[in-house]
Amino acid sequence: MPSRRDVLDLAVRAAALPGGAEFFSAWLRAAAVDQDDHQHAPPEPPLLRNYQPKFFSPADFAALQALTEILIPTDDTPGAREAHCAHYIDYLLHAADDVAPDMQKQWRDAMAALQQAGFHTLDANGRAALVEEISKPERDRSATHPAFAAYRLIKQQNTFAFYTSRAGMIDALDYKGNSYNTTFPACDHPQHHVI
Amino acid sequence: MPKVYDAIVVGSGACGGWAAMELASRGMKVLMLEAGSKVVPAQDFHHRFLYEMEFRGQGRPGSLRRYTGNERNYRIMLDSTENPYTTAPGTNYRWTRSRCLGGRTMHWARATDRMADYEFKAASRDGYGMDWAVDYAAMKPYYDRVERFIGVSGAMEGLPQFPDGVFLPAMPLNCAETIFTAASKSLGWRTTHRRLAQLTRMHNNRPPCHYCGNCVNGCDVGAMFNTVAVTLPPALKTGNLDVLTDSVVASVRMNAENRAQGVTYLERFTMKSIDVDAKFVILAASTLENTRLLLLSAKGGLANSSGLLGHYMMDQVGGGGVSGILPKLRGGPSRLDDGKSAGITIPNFQNIDKQTQRKDFIRGYVINATGGQTEYPQYAASVPGYGSAWKKEIKSRYVAQARVWNAGAEMLAQKENFVELDPEVKDHWGIPALKIHFTHSDNDRKLIADFQQKAEELFRKAGGEIIPGLGRGGPAGFPGGPGSPDANQGGRRDTLGGAIHEVGTARMSVDPKEGVLNSFCQTHDIPNLYVFGGNAFPSTGDKHPTLTMMALSARGCDHLREQAKKA
Repeated sequence: MPSRRDVLDLAVRAAALPGGAEFFSAWLRAAAVDQDDHQHAPPEPPLLRNYQPKFFSPADFAALQALTEILIPTDDTPGAREAHCAHYIDYLLHAADDVAPDMQKQWRDAMAALQQAGFHTLDANGRAALVEEISKPERDRSATHPAFAAYRLIKQQNTFAFYTSRAGMIDALDYKGNSYNTTFPACDHPQHHVI
Repeated sequence: MPKVYDAIVVGSGACGGWAAMELASRGMKVLMLEAGSKVVPAQDFHHRFLYEMEFRGQGRPGSLRRYTGNERNYRIMLDSTENPYTTAPGTNYRWTRSRCLGGRTMHWARATDRMADYEFKAASRDGYGMDWAVDYAAMKPYYDRVERFIGVSGAMEGLPQFPDGVFLPAMPLNCAETIFTAASKSLGWRTTHRRLAQLTRMHNNRPPCHYCGNCVNGCDVGAMFNTVAVTLPPALKTGNLDVLTDSVVASVRMNAENRAQGVTYLERFTMKSIDVDAKFVILAASTLENTRLLLLSAKGGLANSSGLLGHYMMDQVGGGGVSGILPKLRGGPSRLDDGKSAGITIPNFQNIDKQTQRKDFIRGYVINATGGQTEYPQYAASVPGYGSAWKKEIKSRYVAQARVWNAGAEMLAQKENFVELDPEVKDHWGIPALKIHFTHSDNDRKLIADFQQKAEELFRKAGGEIIPGLGRGGPAGFPGGPGSPDANQGGRRDTLGGAIHEVGTARMSVDPKEGVLNSFCQTHDIPNLYVFGGNAFPSTGDKHPTLTMMALSARGCDHLREQAKKA
């Protein structure tokens, strides 16, 4: 597939030919629609693509990864897996060496609570059921669970890792900002002008 | 470098940049001294997505504590370990500063409002404090001059308490702002587009805004007003301006004739101390830095025959605000809602006249509102649940986000709020730091409580669902807004201050016994020493202060040139 620059170069040269301008301007518009709709958003840097966990033990990392994917699954849009959420959390905590020991301890305690709840050794169905149980205090204020604080911590950081990734921000939420635009889209909905 | 400049301008922010341009373009030889580093917007500012940054905008854990900025903009902010300040017991004040060429204009909120006689003559109206030594008629030509040059987008409204200006076309409203406008109208409150020093069409060889929403991280093309893109180029073109960055001014030097001889500055990295002389010295290093320099320059403070230098510190009252969802917008497609980083403004409508007079407080506040998509969905982690249903809920709310915020309400002037030199703490260059004494009055608290009630009323009228515990609002990057350091402080109503509109400490007065400056921002005591910034303000008013600071600077420059001619 030609790059956007190839398309533009070709269109500029072709437009110089007799009768070419009109044809190629229509073709250029069609080609632009056919391409990625999120051209304003550059690709994600490869930082996390081949990242090997450094903070969590292999068992904790596997458990964390599984939990992040339960919380933000891959469905019709990418999820925590494509966004490398567990990898980002590990990267962040490893970078906290010497500067944020409290933060690191909080996460070690969280993973210990999760392990004590049995998450590490359960199969997929068992994990799904356990997460439902751990998260119950979110829905029912009278409920408690010893791993609820761990769930909240992981949910908070997983949410941040996902929606600050390209997968979350661009593919899932379709964020339009940070782009060059010729106009600002004014509200054109009559129903918004009345209360 | 001439032996004696016509004028030295200390600082390169809104006022320093304006003064340098005005004086250099009229043939005066000017030296500008800036403590921070040079900034080249086209190189230093460009769009960066959070995922392009190593720590998604937050910096390596613990590394940005000493800055008031984020991973995008901390380089143009100030390192508080190099530049400490202290606060008195009971003072909860955060002083947000910047050290770079252009100062805070490089990342400011761009709100550009004129003050009215409602502010200038407030004391005559309600009996509190002191009237300004200028009125609107005296200020209008200078407001006109500044607005014409920098370019301000806005709409004419004809409200005496919110004077109209010289406007470029207003920014269009997004869906949430349209709904809030309708809600405000139905409550009987007037609204207008937020007035911004941000171009909606080409102006003075600068391109219009491209609606990226990145203003508070620095504009790469100069579509928003800042010194580097707007006032510095014409000033440098004259050949009359020298600019020295990384030059930390330590004091104003005096001669035997009670005139400022020049300043002493330290080269930022070598610490070498250098004296430069000038016929006039203009302090324009930001309100509190100006006062710090006056305090540093003589025992008891320079130009302090009134004894009021440092006193009557004010900062418009922040705090309050509402965040939540506008159900009308739920589930809609994504739009470029935050591309202008703006909103609507509801000018103050209380204590304007006898009909609107409140019994429980004096003065007033301005309400702002906006909504729609943001770079990061701040609400997401607080939404219960998980899985695909949770993801759909997050997406559904994404375009329906809404915020009503107070960008600054009037804080009453009190002598007890003051700054002094800390007897022990010094900065990286060995210069004594400021100590801040700052508390709010009952009136300030009542004002914010009333704002909070009105903000919630507006939100409900718009059909909004309030979500407690979210940031107190403001566009992305604003104090309390998404992505800001205090975004997660929730709707804490005790976080007063922090509007970053600090003013006062060298107020203007007709009588030299009642203030430090005259109406031209010239010190009463020293005829060739001027102070440009918020120092002269006898009251905060409820408008954003930058335009008034610049208009006072323009007026002061006219006066200075007259003095120079006489000399």
